[in-house]
Amino acid sequence: MKKFFIFVFHAIFLAGFSISAVPVSASEPIKIGILGPFTGSLAFNASEMRKGMELALDGVNSKGGLFGRQVELVFGDTEAKPDKGLAAVKKLVTRDNVLVVGGGYASSVNIATSEFCHYEGCPNVVAIAISPTITARGYDFVFRTSPNSPQFLEGVNEWLEKIKRPKTVAFFMENSDYGRDGQKIWEAQCKKLGAKVLGSFYFEIGSSDFTAPISKLKDLKPDVVFSIASTTEAALIQRQAKELNFVSQWIGVGGQFTEAFFEMTGPVSEYAMGSSLEPTKAMKDPITAAFVNAYKAKFPESRPGIFSSQGYDNLMVIVDAIKRAGEPTGNLVADRKKIRDALKVTDIRLSQGLIQFDETGQVFTVFPSPVQVQLDENCKPDTQIIFPPERAASEYQVPKPWAERRCK
Amino acid sequence: MESLFLQQTLNGLIIGSIYSLIAIGLTMIFGVMKIANFAHGDYSMVGAYTAVFFVAWVPGWFGWVGSILAAAAVVGVLGVVTERLVFRPVIGRWTDIDVIMVSIGLFILLENLAQLFFGATPRIISDPFKGATVNLGGLSTSVLRLFCLGFSCVTIAVLQIFLNRSKFGIAIRAASQNSFAAQLMGIDINLVYRLTFAVGAALAGIGGVLFGTTFAVHPIMGAMPTLKAFIVTILGGMGNIRGAIFGGFILGVAESLGGNYISMQYQHAIGFFIIILVLLVRPSGLFGAKEGT
Repeated sequence: MKKFFIFVFHAIFLAGFSISAVPVSASEPIKIGILGPFTGSLAFNASEMRKGMELALDGVNSKGGLFGRQVELVFGDTEAKPDKGLAAVKKLVTRDNVLVVGGGYASSVNIATSEFCHYEGCPNVVAIAISPTITARGYDFVFRTSPNSPQFLEGVNEWLEKIKRPKTVAFFMENSDYGRDGQKIWEAQCKKLGAKVLGSFYFEIGSSDFTAPISKLKDLKPDVVFSIASTTEAALIQRQAKELNFVSQWIGVGGQFTEAFFEMTGPVSEYAMGSSLEPTKAMKDPITAAFVNAYKAKFPESRPGIFSSQGYDNLMVIVDAIKRAGEPTGNLVADRKKIRDALKVTDIRLSQGLIQFDETGQVFTVFPSPVQVQLDENCKPDTQIIFPPERAASEYQVPKPWAERRCK
Repeated sequence: MESLFLQQTLNGLIIGSIYSLIAIGLTMIFGVMKIANFAHGDYSMVGAYTAVFFVAWVPGWFGWVGSILAAAAVVGVLGVVTERLVFRPVIGRWTDIDVIMVSIGLFILLENLAQLFFGATPRIISDPFKGATVNLGGLSTSVLRLFCLGFSCVTIAVLQIFLNRSKFGIAIRAASQNSFAAQLMGIDINLVYRLTFAVGAALAGIGGVLFGTTFAVHPIMGAMPTLKAFIVTILGGMGNIRGAIFGGFILGVAESLGGNYISMQYQHAIGFFIIILVLLVRPSGLFGAKEGT
């Protein structure tokens, strides 16, 4: 039995060697590696990303592929864990000999995998992760097609400057890096606008009673309350603001606006604001609308969300760069360098808007739009883009006192 | 400013009433069996989930009141089962560590089972008052919260009558004072243990429904009530029911006012600060028996 296993082991080992030893011939497909947590707790979101990529791939291959060769995606499962991600990216880069590594989800995994790609000289275009670290290390093989966390708040900041111009603000934040990093960005903006900070309150993740801080906020009467919280806490805060008869303009990051959030708040979350990249909210943009319609046609059972749109754009950016770099010669090192150089001058309009990279490889032209929760005629809440005017689907509504609201 | 003080006091009394309700069960169980049950808040979680499903089955007002009774029953039975299967085998050992460890194990088990069966997405128990609010002068709160305050007070009063007037209640108190002497007087101590767990857990279950309706229901919602119940229990004196009642209200109001006038950031630390003070001045708690008696 033991001998048998040794035999099998050798067979696999030799097979691996023989495959990687075959030179890349001109008729072979063009291989792109795609990382993602295809199993584990983020698997649902990763499958959305993958569907977006499949849509992009169909578009390319149905038109004859690249240079007459088919494009093939090789998937590597990261399970949203840095160590598994490293194992997967090593296989893609050194065994599967992909030209570029795309995809990727979760900052902690991508911080590790992008470093590996950089040192191997393989271009890595990260799809979904917002930690500034990924592109801030000066790795010139690393690019990112999703906005980083400061960019996520830029649209709201512009709206604050041009439309709202609050005189007084308060912070009511989750006591974590997520909350405090956001506060730093907004504090700088308030300084610029000359808005007075009346108070800063923090709460622990998992808290449920916010009546004490909200009573205090009610006493302070700020024009705007910045509040970064996850779904459950954010929903409870909205409900308790109503119980305490407190009205202000609540502004968060936008990640809290999930289906569970709206189920918990009902019409109570009306007027709350955040940022969003939901493609279905940006149908005024013809390219985004075309993406949404094509996606619905290919996957009639699912709604195109932010992750499918980010997946689509990620692969399209990679394909565009390979096309501009010229047909791969088979010399992997030279081909990868050419693609890296092509990526640097990316200039393409996709489902999230224009994609161009700055000198660190970070996209600087995609901005989530400020959204506000508004109610339809049946009092059902949903987010609507309210700024900038060319993307806005609805007008900004000033929060009304509770007694004057249409939906109770 | 004055209305802010009154508002914060009201907020504190309301949340304090739920703290009391949950802490009474914990202190009863400790008083009778000397068990520090770290899974106590998870009885509240199970009660809240019972209500989620009961309300989905029987909607409206009737469903909500029914769900409180259903939660009390389900969690009461759960209390009896856990007493028999989890705690009875380890009580009376030479160290309390065993009891503490199994109760932590139970807390992890219940949380994970809830996550497995109900998922991590938070649920709500719909408010029977449909989110109605009361605004009186500068004071605002929801009808639901006022109801919770009243309901907790009534439940606590009923419990007091049960403990002071009924035969079972007197047996529980006797076992709490001295279980050996109670056995000599012919009290079936195992029955008392079972009853204590049933009543203590049922109270936590009721507290869970009130908590879950006011806030939200999710698998890890039990952690915070457990922590608060321990603070209240130590504050009032371990095993002292009167202490738990007053301790709950004291903690609620102290958190609310301390948050307002000292620092919101340290709102949850205030309870621990009070504990340190109480333990320094009165090691047996505010209402606890003096050392040596």
